Amino acid sequence: MKFSFFHLMPYTHLDLESHDWPFPNRYFDPQKASALYRGYVESMIHAESCGFDWVGCNEHHFSPYGMMANPNLIGGALAYSTQRSKIAITGNLVPLNNPIRIAEEYAMLDCMSGGRLVAGLMRGIPHEYLAYNIPPGESWERQREAVQLILKAWTEPEPFGWEGKHYQYRQVSIWPKPMQKPHPPLVISASNADSARFAAEVRATMGMVLLADLPSGKECIRVYREAAKASGWEPAPENVLVGMHTCIAETDEEARRHLSQGLKYFDQVLMGGLQASQRIVLQKTRYFESEESRDRWKSRLDKRRTLTLDEQIERGTVLCGSPETVVKQIRRIHAELGHGVFNFTVKVGTLPDEVIRRGMELFRDRVLPHVREL
Amino acid sequence: MQPQASKLSLSSGEFSYYPAGEGRPLVYLHPAGGVRWTKVLDELAKSFRLYAPIAPGFDGTQAHASVKSMKGLAALVGEFIEKVVGGPCDLIGCSFGGYLAAWLAAERPALVDHLVLECPAGFRPKGYAGRPPDPEALKKLLFLHPEKLPPESKTLEVEAANRRMLPHYGYSPDTDEELLARIPSIDKLTLILHGTADRMIPKESVQLLKSRLPHAYLVYIWDAAHAIEVDQPERMLAVLLDFLQRSEGFMVNWGTLAVNPD
Repeated sequence: MKFSFFHLMPYTHLDLESHDWPFPNRYFDPQKASALYRGYVESMIHAESCGFDWVGCNEHHFSPYGMMANPNLIGGALAYSTQRSKIAITGNLVPLNNPIRIAEEYAMLDCMSGGRLVAGLMRGIPHEYLAYNIPPGESWERQREAVQLILKAWTEPEPFGWEGKHYQYRQVSIWPKPMQKPHPPLVISASNADSARFAAEVRATMGMVLLADLPSGKECIRVYREAAKASGWEPAPENVLVGMHTCIAETDEEARRHLSQGLKYFDQVLMGGLQASQRIVLQKTRYFESEESRDRWKSRLDKRRTLTLDEQIERGTVLCGSPETVVKQIRRIHAELGHGVFNFTVKVGTLPDEVIRRGMELFRDRVLPHVREL
Repeated sequence: MQPQASKLSLSSGEFSYYPAGEGRPLVYLHPAGGVRWTKVLDELAKSFRLYAPIAPGFDGTQAHASVKSMKGLAALVGEFIEKVVGGPCDLIGCSFGGYLAAWLAAERPALVDHLVLECPAGFRPKGYAGRPPDPEALKKLLFLHPEKLPPESKTLEVEAANRRMLPHYGYSPDTDEELLARIPSIDKLTLILHGTADRMIPKESVQLLKSRLPHAYLVYIWDAAHAIEVDQPERMLAVLLDFLQRSEGFMVNWGTLAVNPD
């Protein structure tokens, strides 16, 4: 089993109240953000010495949910301050950005890190489309076309042009090209059947975070494996990434107390304003190609919101407890899903950095030795 | 709208072609299924004097007994251009016609101005899966969007009969090594088009051509199989017209105000 240290990089200095989207940036204090960035990056660097195989972050816009308009900048900061761990950018929001720029920046990161990039090519959650003024109804078309264009930009031996529906480039010849051949490993979010199929078609690792329950996760993995077979390949366990909120402390009680506190801020402040904008996008556009996928997304979020922490632990959708408890939780979830990469979201809301740091050390000393062989 | 065919007598026999439109001369060499009068040809005829010759033996015409190779067929098309066009012209070849166009550009460079190779045959790696004999299977291979086929298209059976002429010209699906050796000598400004879903001609074929041609641009057409003209006529025209009209300048996005601002 490989372990990934994932950081949402939230802005944590807000009162416990939600705001409509977009979250007014008069509340943003650059001095505080500067300290947060520094602390977050230091913690990501420290993750390598705690045995994490991947260290990463992702892209979000216009909200304190994550201060990462461009996660590749964080990747650049990690490239020279880590030596071994993969730099997992999970990922750039492909339909929102210039695909050639994504290909270029990822190729830079791969070269700068000596071939350690894991390249996430995400479609993005619905409200991000408001931020960059991209029609949500075009999200799938853009995603499919842009991913193929990025792969071409990485792998074509000669300059080429691209005449597509959403993207037109008369000549492309990126400098640099990625170090890993034929290209860096891909991660694509696969929290519903459509995206699981797409991830399989392009031979990407499937990523699932914020699970509603283990059976729904299991179903996505089944769809992914079937689609991969139809595309002529067999995914390894490492091609399935499962991500969860994670809090490890000395005792179960301590871990639950800290995570409950962090989740309160996560749900009320960080997720609060997003829900209204998500609802607008989902109701008014064809962000999801099928109603089934749309309903599943809504019910997944609704389910998560209404569950208590104890219920989430019981369902196996968060990791929380003493090292011994977390070992048991990891083993149970692995037995159910058979995944090969476990992605820990460690900074949940206002969960204190010193608690996270202690949790990382507990992971290194008392969790990892018992789950590495899974 | 497919025009009426015209005929003329060439050194080896009678030769047919479709003329259309007015403007700079442009010769279009058809694929192995014969001339398929697509929206692309209709649009080209609005800006060019378009000639679409029929390779002897295709589309109900008589084969010429003495023309038995792609090189020989290229010489015949050269003779046609000399007689009918009267000088150099832009040249487009689709698939089998692309293979032929490459031979013509190698053999008769003085007759060619811009060269466009649309998913050209003649450069496939050895052992690449051949053309399926079943017409329906072939249709699936050729088109990603068969619903876009022009309603007046010829039947699959007629196209199959045309393909049976290929051995007459010594056509092989594998790479023509003799021609490949000549490719670096083609100094024409060349546009190579390839559909991103083309399973008839692999991308390695067009990559090989791109690497050998000294002045070539390779452009992938998204969401098109082998029959780019049917699957994505608008995308193909956008690139093709820019290339024919602006040469290297086709790389520039001219916007709307670049030349004549208010």
